[in-house]
Amino acid sequence: MTRHQSDVCVVGGGISAALLAQKLTELRPGLSIVVIEAGRRLFDLENRMEYRRRSTEYGENAWPGDYIPDQAAQGGISRTMAVGGQALHWGGTCNRFSEEDTRLKSMFGLAMDWPLEWNELERYCCEAERRLGVSGEPSPFAEDRRSEPYPMKEMVLSHNLLELQRWANQSGIPFQGIPQAKNTEPYDGRAQCIRCNTCLICPTGARYSPDFTFQQLLAAKKIQLHDQTLVRRLVMHDTKNIIVAAQAVNRQKPDESIEYRAPVFVLASGYTWSPHLLLLSRNARFPDGLANRSGLVGRYMAGHAFISAFIEVDAKIYPGMNETHSLISRQFFRSPQDKPFVRHDLRVWESNYGREPRLRDATGKVLLGDDLLADWRRRAQRGTARVRAYMDVHPDRDSSLTLDESAKNKWGDPLPKIEHRLAADTLARQSRVREHMLGVFQRLAKAGDGKILNISDGDYLDHPAGGCRMGAEPSTSVCDSYGHTHDHENLFVVGAPTLPTAGCTNGTLTFVALTLRSASRIAGQFPRS
Amino acid sequence: MTRRNLLQWLAALPIPALQVWAQTAMFPGEHGPLLSEIGAVVLPRELGRAGTDRVVEQFERHVREYRPGADTDHGYGVTRLRVKPASPAPAYLRQLASIKTPISAETIAAALDAAGVKELPRFAEGKHVAADLMAFYFHGSEANDLCYRAAIGRDQCRGLEGSDHPPASLKGMSG
Repeated sequence: MTRHQSDVCVVGGGISAALLAQKLTELRPGLSIVVIEAGRRLFDLENRMEYRRRSTEYGENAWPGDYIPDQAAQGGISRTMAVGGQALHWGGTCNRFSEEDTRLKSMFGLAMDWPLEWNELERYCCEAERRLGVSGEPSPFAEDRRSEPYPMKEMVLSHNLLELQRWANQSGIPFQGIPQAKNTEPYDGRAQCIRCNTCLICPTGARYSPDFTFQQLLAAKKIQLHDQTLVRRLVMHDTKNIIVAAQAVNRQKPDESIEYRAPVFVLASGYTWSPHLLLLSRNARFPDGLANRSGLVGRYMAGHAFISAFIEVDAKIYPGMNETHSLISRQFFRSPQDKPFVRHDLRVWESNYGREPRLRDATGKVLLGDDLLADWRRRAQRGTARVRAYMDVHPDRDSSLTLDESAKNKWGDPLPKIEHRLAADTLARQSRVREHMLGVFQRLAKAGDGKILNISDGDYLDHPAGGCRMGAEPSTSVCDSYGHTHDHENLFVVGAPTLPTAGCTNGTLTFVALTLRSASRIAGQFPRS
Repeated sequence: MTRRNLLQWLAALPIPALQVWAQTAMFPGEHGPLLSEIGAVVLPRELGRAGTDRVVEQFERHVREYRPGADTDHGYGVTRLRVKPASPAPAYLRQLASIKTPISAETIAAALDAAGVKELPRFAEGKHVAADLMAFYFHGSEANDLCYRAAIGRDQCRGLEGSDHPPASLKGMSG
């Protein structure tokens, strides 16, 4: 057996792990930190232009090798397991939650209040924006006030987005550019965005991804990164409720077992693998899994529902100018307290829906060459907007992640199974919320002489979170607001799993903000040198 | 032995995997002129014959650089591991060998009907070489520009400056 000793053992190598490690090295220089990631490191920026080309032209995976064939969750949203995690190929959207997310119970009588004040979380949102490098413009709503400006000026709206903004604003709903972790100027050693239109594989590094942070930390020899290493169990002390070791296996050397020892362990493995590891680590004293005296590990799995529409608009749109940039309205982040609860964001993108080249006309006749081009040009006279809303829905206690004994990896460990279930009050208002959404789409369409072409409901919950929810009471939560587990004094969970509810807009910035707040508390476990 | 001769020799060996590899590497073999004729019919005349021949050459290279077994995107929301299927080159060669000549819009349409091609595939799938050639071009950035008569450059890295204005008209065209 190979043994490693460190001060902090971080399990998971995604965005939360990267920024946690970065902040810890700043707060406590000299701390020895080991980050363990089951997937590979893909530190090959120089190849990304070619990966982008192969993805665009052939549909190949733009991140070759970014998954583990026998390590997947049923009901999981992504197969990505690599150093950098799902934020390797995120879109970079860095929209904020709002105070309502932290006070659902006291404001609306729904779900629960988060065990921290919005004003405090907002400060960590600013820190997250600085570390990620976010470009944005302030919201026009007073409730969205910021304590610091964005670190970078907003991305210029393309001609298409300006046209769509003009159209959408006629509805009386104000739209602005979405804040993004994309460089509108050189930032933190990374290049300015050059509008490659493929942010899911940014070939220049202008869109933040955690591999850059890891590479900086490794170059400065501030952390150790053990990739391709799967942590299979956390081991408790014989008599005390502390974690003494993480047992792992290197996927390249499967016969060699590895043990990591540290005074502090941090799970930064996201909403799937953090609760999964706690459940896998069950023992005689914690037969339902570590940190699980409340019975809530793998419960309250959250996310937001969504609904999309394509709306034909009277605007000259040139599809492809900047397809990954969008508009957002935060108008519906507030739900009047004297009216039924409806809360959502609203996004608008350029689109070519209904205006793609087609082989056959409406009668089925084959179109070739000039005929095809003429048909395409005729249908491209008007523009299309893609509109989507993320709706605030709340999880039921039985929204679960469990161990699936029927699906095991090559080491015989049961894999996670995620089954989202919505709370009764969320289900009760679904039809009313949908009716509201249809009204919003109609209002948008009507404002610009438009026509709704298509409406579709999402069939999964996006930006999933939860599974180790935070709270003030050990009986109703897994950890406190710092991710410190109630049951184990040296075990933390950070980022997405700690959210009790998943809001109504992209979650990554909030996951990172909470992690940075946790980092301050974790650093406090160690004296300043 | 020249590279071409070597590939022809390999393609003749009774080893299926080697045949497919060689047929892909030497695509379109002896059918270059025929594929050029097809290109002249299925691609816009606005490109001119030199333009359609250029697109056909790009398509031929695209086929030669195809990588069977390469991972495809595994999806988001609903995930699935998939790999690119076998090279479409052998199917293309069979289709080229059997297509009726002289090439015309009618013969192409009949071939597409017979092959059951209903729409342009997103990526080459081998149902019919004419459909895949069209998909290769019409789903591309250059065709998008031609449709809108504007230098949108969808698949290029273009910088942010000036993107708040409509893209410039294509040379010689009004927007």
